[in-house]
Amino acid sequence: MNRRTLLGGLFATATVPAVAACSSGITSLEGEGGAGAGGGGSSADGVTIGTANFTENQILGHLYAAVLGAAGIRTTVRPNLGTREILIPALKGGDIDLLPEYQGALLHYLDAKAKETEEGEMQNALAVALPRGLQILPYGRAEDSDAFAVTRETAEKYGLKSLADLARHNGKLVIGAAPEVKKRTVGAVGLKDEYGVEFKEFKSLDSSGPLVKGALKKGDVDVANLFTTDTDILAEGWVVLTDPKNLIPGQHVVPLIADRKADSTVRKALARLGNALTTEDLTELNRQVDKDKKDPEDVANAWAAAHRLTK
Amino acid sequence: MTVEWAWISDHASDLATLTVSHLQAALTAVALGLLISLPLAVVAHRIRPLRGLLLGLSNVLFTIPSIAIFVLLLPVTGLTRTTTVVGLTVYTLVVLLRNTVEGLDAVPVKVREAARAMGTRPLRTLLTVELPLALPVIMAGVRIATVMSISLVSVATYIGDGGLGQLFTDGFQRNFPTPVITGVVLTLLLALVADALLVAVQYVLTPWTRKRGA
Amino acid sequence: MYELFSDLGSWLTSGEQWAGPDGIAHRLAEHLQYSLIATLVAAVIALPVGLLIGHTGRGAFLAINLSSFGRALPTVGLVVLVFLASGLSMTPVYVALVALAVPAIVTNTYAGMTAVDADVKDAARGQGMRAHQVLFQVELPLALPLIMTGLRLALIQVVATATIAAYVSFGGLGRYVFDGLAQRDLVQVLGGAVLVAVIAVVLDLVLAGLQRALFRHRHHAAH
Repeated sequence: MNRRTLLGGLFATATVPAVAACSSGITSLEGEGGAGAGGGGSSADGVTIGTANFTENQILGHLYAAVLGAAGIRTTVRPNLGTREILIPALKGGDIDLLPEYQGALLHYLDAKAKETEEGEMQNALAVALPRGLQILPYGRAEDSDAFAVTRETAEKYGLKSLADLARHNGKLVIGAAPEVKKRTVGAVGLKDEYGVEFKEFKSLDSSGPLVKGALKKGDVDVANLFTTDTDILAEGWVVLTDPKNLIPGQHVVPLIADRKADSTVRKALARLGNALTTEDLTELNRQVDKDKKDPEDVANAWAAAHRLTK
Repeated sequence: MTVEWAWISDHASDLATLTVSHLQAALTAVALGLLISLPLAVVAHRIRPLRGLLLGLSNVLFTIPSIAIFVLLLPVTGLTRTTTVVGLTVYTLVVLLRNTVEGLDAVPVKVREAARAMGTRPLRTLLTVELPLALPVIMAGVRIATVMSISLVSVATYIGDGGLGQLFTDGFQRNFPTPVITGVVLTLLLALVADALLVAVQYVLTPWTRKRGA
Repeated sequence: MYELFSDLGSWLTSGEQWAGPDGIAHRLAEHLQYSLIATLVAAVIALPVGLLIGHTGRGAFLAINLSSFGRALPTVGLVVLVFLASGLSMTPVYVALVALAVPAIVTNTYAGMTAVDADVKDAARGQGMRAHQVLFQVELPLALPLIMTGLRLALIQVVATATIAAYVSFGGLGRYVFDGLAQRDLVQVLGGAVLVAVIAVVLDLVLAGLQRALFRHRHHAAH
C-alpha cells in the first residue's frame, strides 16, 4: 500500500482541486445540489473526503480513506476545511463527497428545533432533514459528544454539577467555545432556551483545541465547550457538567455522503469500520495525534490494519 | 521550543509537494495579475479620468484583509484552489497596476512622438517601444507581487488550502512547533529564490539597462 | 450579491450591532488600539535604524532588502510560532504586526535619507554644522516626505493584518471575519472587511493631512 501521510493528504488538498479547479469552481457557481465536481461521477471515479478543523475529524477522514482504499476506491482526504457550516455547503456544491459527521450535531444544524435524542429516532429525523442529493449511512459505535466542562475549583466555588446550576449565576460566568457554537442549539442558544443560562460573555475560541483548553486552564473562561473524546478532560481533572434535560443529543459518528457516491462497496466498507471503531479507540487515536505528534493518517492506517479492516 | 529534525526528514517528500503547491498558487496569481493589469494599466495611462479611479480602487482593495477576500469568494468558487488563486490575484493587481502605469509614465513623450512620426501604429508602439522601456519598473512590481503572494498563500489555510500554510494550522492545533518553523523557513526561502530568479530574468530581458548602468 | 450588500446595510446600521462587548464600537476601538500600538512600536524601532543607516551609509544592503524580507514573512506562521513559544497573550499578534511594519519604515526612511542631495549636506557641513545638526536640521526635514510614505504604508498594512488577532482569541474587527467564517455568515465577514478598509483609509487620510501640516510649517519656517 502506498504510504500517504498527513502531509500527503495536505498536498492532495492543493493539487487535486487544482487539477479540477475550473470544473469544480464553475459547478459550484451553477448552484448547490447539482452534480458536483468533487470526485465527479460515482465512487469508481474516486471519493473526496472532507474533514473539519479538529484532530479527531481528520483521523476519521483518514480511517474512511483507509477502508475505502482497501475496497479498491481511490480517495483524497482534504484536512482542516473548517466548520460544519462551511463543509455542508461544500458537500452540496460538490467540492467534497464524504464527511465524517456526528448524529446530534448534524441534526441540529439541519433542523434547529429537532427534539429527537435516541439514536434510531435521530437517524430517521436526519434522513428527513437532509437536503436532496445527500444521505447518511448507518451510525457507528464510536461516540464523541459535546461537553461543557469547568475546572474543579470553579465547580466548587459556584457549586456546579449540572448545566442547570449555571443559571443560578447568570451574567457572571464566561463561556469559551468555537465561534460557531454561539449560534448553535447544542451551544449558547440551547443553553439559554433549555436551561435559562445567560453568560456574561461568549469568547470565540476553538473546537476543543489549544485556545479553549488554554483559556480554561488560565481561568480566562469559566465554562469550556470540549469534546468527550478529549483526553485532557481526564488528565486535567475537569468536571463535565451533567445534562438532565438532554440538551446534548447522542453524537455517534455517522458518515454523510453524496448520493452518487453511496454504492454498496462504499456502504459495506464504512459499515465495517463503524462496527469496529469504539469510543475508546477514537479517544486513544486522538491522544496519539495530539500528544505523541503522530500523523492522523499514520495512526488511522495502523489502527485499520490492526483491526484487519484493510485486509 | 525545539525542532524535531526527525519529523522534517520523515516528511521530506510531503514538504516538497507542499512547497510546489504553494509556489503554484502564488505564481498562477502573479501571472493572472499581469494578464489583467497590463491592459488596465494601458487604459489608465491613456485615459486620464480612469487613472485615478482604477488606481484608487486597487488601493482600497489592498486595505481589505486577505482572509475576508477568501471567505467572501466561497459562495462563488467554493472550497477550491480557484478561491485561493483569485484571492491572491486581487492583491497582485494593486502592485502590478501601479507599477505598470508608473513605468508607462516614465517613457518620454518624445519617444512616442518619434515612433508616431516614423509611421508606427499605436499598438505597435506600445508593444515594441513603450512596454519594453517600462519593463524595469514593471519587473520591480512583479518582484514585489511575487514575494507578497508567496507570503499570502498561507492565509488560505483558513479555507483548507494554503500550501505551506497548512503546516501553521496543523502545528497550532497540536501545539507542535516543528511544522510551523519548517513552514516559515520554507516560505522565506521560496520568496528569496523566486526574487533572485526574477532579478536574473530582468537582467536578461533588459540588456540596455545594463549598458547604461555600466 | 445585491442581497448581501443590503443585509450589510442593516448590519452596519442596527443599534444592537454597535453595542456591547461584541459590538462594532468596541471591536473598532480594539482594532484601532492594536494597529496604533503596533505601528508606534515599529516606528520607535525602525526610524532610528533607518536614519542611522541613511546618515552613515553603513548597512545600506540591509535597509534595501529588509522590505523584501518583511513582505516574505508569513504573518500566520509568525503568530503561531510566537504563540507556541510564549503562550496565549497579545504578544504573538504584536510581534507579527511590528515585524510587518518595521521593514516598510526602515526602507522608506533610508530611501528618503539617500535622496537628500549630497551638495546640500556638504554645504551644511561647510557652514560648520555638527553631524547631529546636519542629521536633524537638514537631512531629516528633507527626507520627511518619504519617511511619511513609509509610515503610511506600514499603518495600512498593519490595520489590514490586525485581523489576525481574532485567530488567537482576541478582539478587533477580525472577530467578525473569523466568526463569520466559522458560522458561514458572510454579512458579518463583509461588515468586518468593510470596516477594516474604512479605518485604513481614514487613518491614511489623517496621516496625509499631518504630512501636509508638517510641510506647511517647515515652509513658513524657511521663509
